[in-house]
Amino acid sequence: MTSLMGNHSGTIGYSFSEPTSANVKQHSFYPYTDNGGSTLGITGADFAILAGDTRSTSGYNINSRMVPKVFKIGGDDETGEGANIILSVVGFAADGNALKEKLDTMVRMYKYQHGKSMSVGACAQRLSTILYEKRFFPYYVHAILAGLDEEGVGALYSYDPVGSYEREQCRAAGAASSLIMPFLDNQVNSKNQYIPGSGEGHALVPKKAEPLDKETATKLVKDAFTSAVERHIEVGDGLQLVIVTREGIEEVFHALKQD
Amino acid sequence: MAINFKDGVILGADSRTTTGAYIANRVTDKLTQVHDTIWCCRSGSAADTQAVADIVSYHLNMYGVTNAEAPTTQVAASLFQELCYENKDALSAGIILAGWDARHGGQVFSIPLGGSLHKQPFAIGGSGSTYIYGYTDAHWREQMTEEEGIDFVRSALQEAIKWDGSSGGVIRLVVLTKAGAVRHLYLPDNGYTGPGVTN
Amino acid sequence: MPGFDFTNYNRNAALHAKGVPLPKATSTGTTIVGCIYDKGVVIAADTRATSGPIVADKNCEKLHYIAPKIWCAGAGTAADTEFTTALISSNVELHSLSTGRDPRVITCMTMLKQHLFRYQGHIGAYLVVAGVDPTGTGLYTVHAHGSTDKLPYVTMGSGSLAAMSVFESTWQPDLDRQGAIDICAEAIKAGIFNDLGSGSNVDVCVIEKDQPTQLLRNYMKPNDRPQKERNYRFPRGTTAYLDQRVISKEDMKKYVTIETLSGDDKITTGDSMEVDT
Repeated sequence: MTSLMGNHSGTIGYSFSEPTSANVKQHSFYPYTDNGGSTLGITGADFAILAGDTRSTSGYNINSRMVPKVFKIGGDDETGEGANIILSVVGFAADGNALKEKLDTMVRMYKYQHGKSMSVGACAQRLSTILYEKRFFPYYVHAILAGLDEEGVGALYSYDPVGSYEREQCRAAGAASSLIMPFLDNQVNSKNQYIPGSGEGHALVPKKAEPLDKETATKLVKDAFTSAVERHIEVGDGLQLVIVTREGIEEVFHALKQD
Repeated sequence: MAINFKDGVILGADSRTTTGAYIANRVTDKLTQVHDTIWCCRSGSAADTQAVADIVSYHLNMYGVTNAEAPTTQVAASLFQELCYENKDALSAGIILAGWDARHGGQVFSIPLGGSLHKQPFAIGGSGSTYIYGYTDAHWREQMTEEEGIDFVRSALQEAIKWDGSSGGVIRLVVLTKAGAVRHLYLPDNGYTGPGVTN
Repeated sequence: MPGFDFTNYNRNAALHAKGVPLPKATSTGTTIVGCIYDKGVVIAADTRATSGPIVADKNCEKLHYIAPKIWCAGAGTAADTEFTTALISSNVELHSLSTGRDPRVITCMTMLKQHLFRYQGHIGAYLVVAGVDPTGTGLYTVHAHGSTDKLPYVTMGSGSLAAMSVFESTWQPDLDRQGAIDICAEAIKAGIFNDLGSGSNVDVCVIEKDQPTQLLRNYMKPNDRPQKERNYRFPRGTTAYLDQRVISKEDMKKYVTIETLSGDDKITTGDSMEVDT
């Protein structure tokens, strides 16, 4: 407060307002960028799907229409052959890439040292540690890891940026996650669906979630993305679908709207 | 910028309008008529200077019809100064006014940011002007001929365009004499040598 | 002149100071363009309206009527472009009635700039004004702060840079009607595909002397939605409910008039809403 008595050090008692901090321009360096895009994973009894759009954005600009977000982990350097784990990363693309490189190296080192492939469960735990190592300067990404577990059942793990993780049936991440996740809850886990005529009013019997087959899951993924493209400006251009089965990893690309 | 010469005044300006790094208009007309032979050069906020020039133009034209006599350049200068001074906290307008009237001949006035008024033999303003203070001081002469005056203004603006990133495009001139207003245009395509008179 | 109501100004300022964020207005992060040709003028716009990164409307109209031969394309805050053009349209018609002359584009442009200048940029309307009048063809841009430009071809909105690149690389003088439509549509498409704030369809408006103005709504539809893979119809009774009350038609008649229409009567009083199936 300004005093007219002039008892403040450095002031002489005029009723000018004190300098406000509002006009002080602060220069700062912000090392993160949001590159938009969305990813999604679904698992079934004998498969796991990870998908992501291939658009990379900054602000209202498109950096590229073809930047894949799903990677094979622990395979050959060039072709990714021999891999049985896949990882999707969305958020800050540079961090995503660094994270993928690091995990890929770890998984391959494991194979060289132990003479066997790393299990998805072990890889999931390792990824969590990698993320938590940077607890105070995090990888700005939402990662999803997928593969087949030791029983050959589809496994999917989703992470927050600092390494908290959970095994799930399905998960949407990234820009349009809030649009896609409710759709997945409803269609994959049959949330908010009841069996017609099974009771009166609120006493209806909830519809049981049935395990999806690969074809149905693929169709759901496509519909989730074509719908997200309609309502989210950062999603579009291409859809990358990566499917893990006992036969190996299959990767396909589909076109999405470019506006 | 604007200068006095033997028979009247010459106004000149580049044609670049920017919003940040983007050139919103590369052929802007910054030389604005407020009466038959009273014109101004606008710099600063486009919205503010257009609004002020429109208001002055309205008053001068009312003056012209009610008194059946063209207003002097001084009247226009006073109107500009009044608006720029009284609204200094809301405006960012740097205006150079130049005119020819039967009583005083050619006159040049500068009204910089705070709303003060300066009568000068010649005046420069805007972001590019800082680059040509030396040039204009070194080459300025009183009582130039029209051809010498045009050459002085064109060369000075060419220099400002060369050094200032916020200036560019074409060079527009207006020559105000007893004979009225004559527009000139000089394009970058031919090194600002032509086409010259456009009306 | 009717004005704005500032009753809640102090309350909202206090709320904002306490950290409550300002409400998010629907903005038409837009591409709009205009181009004159030998006998008239063309304006065009995309049809995406956004609220942050979410598409609020996939097929909105950004081409606004001012007078039969003066139209306006709007970018910026959707509500501001809508109400500002409606206000000026109204005043232009009254002005035309009182003078007994056809309205002029420069009159309309001046009214817009004076209105917007008064509000010092707080009315976020960025407009392209175009039309033909007794003095000839007019094409102007009007910025929210009240500055105007007069040019043979113009672009505005977040996609203005993408659109301007089309004009600066392919525009030529003495375009004919179709040439002007083509270049405008191409410029809008550049915005639709390269600017995330713009999308969906191309709307075009052609204004020409001695010719009725043509509003070519959805002149191009380069972004049709692909067929869905699955059918998402739920069987009747899927949704749980807490309570059910049936009100008979007889009871309803106490409060409203009811008219029964046969099923095949098509009643359309305007654009019908588009719904995904």
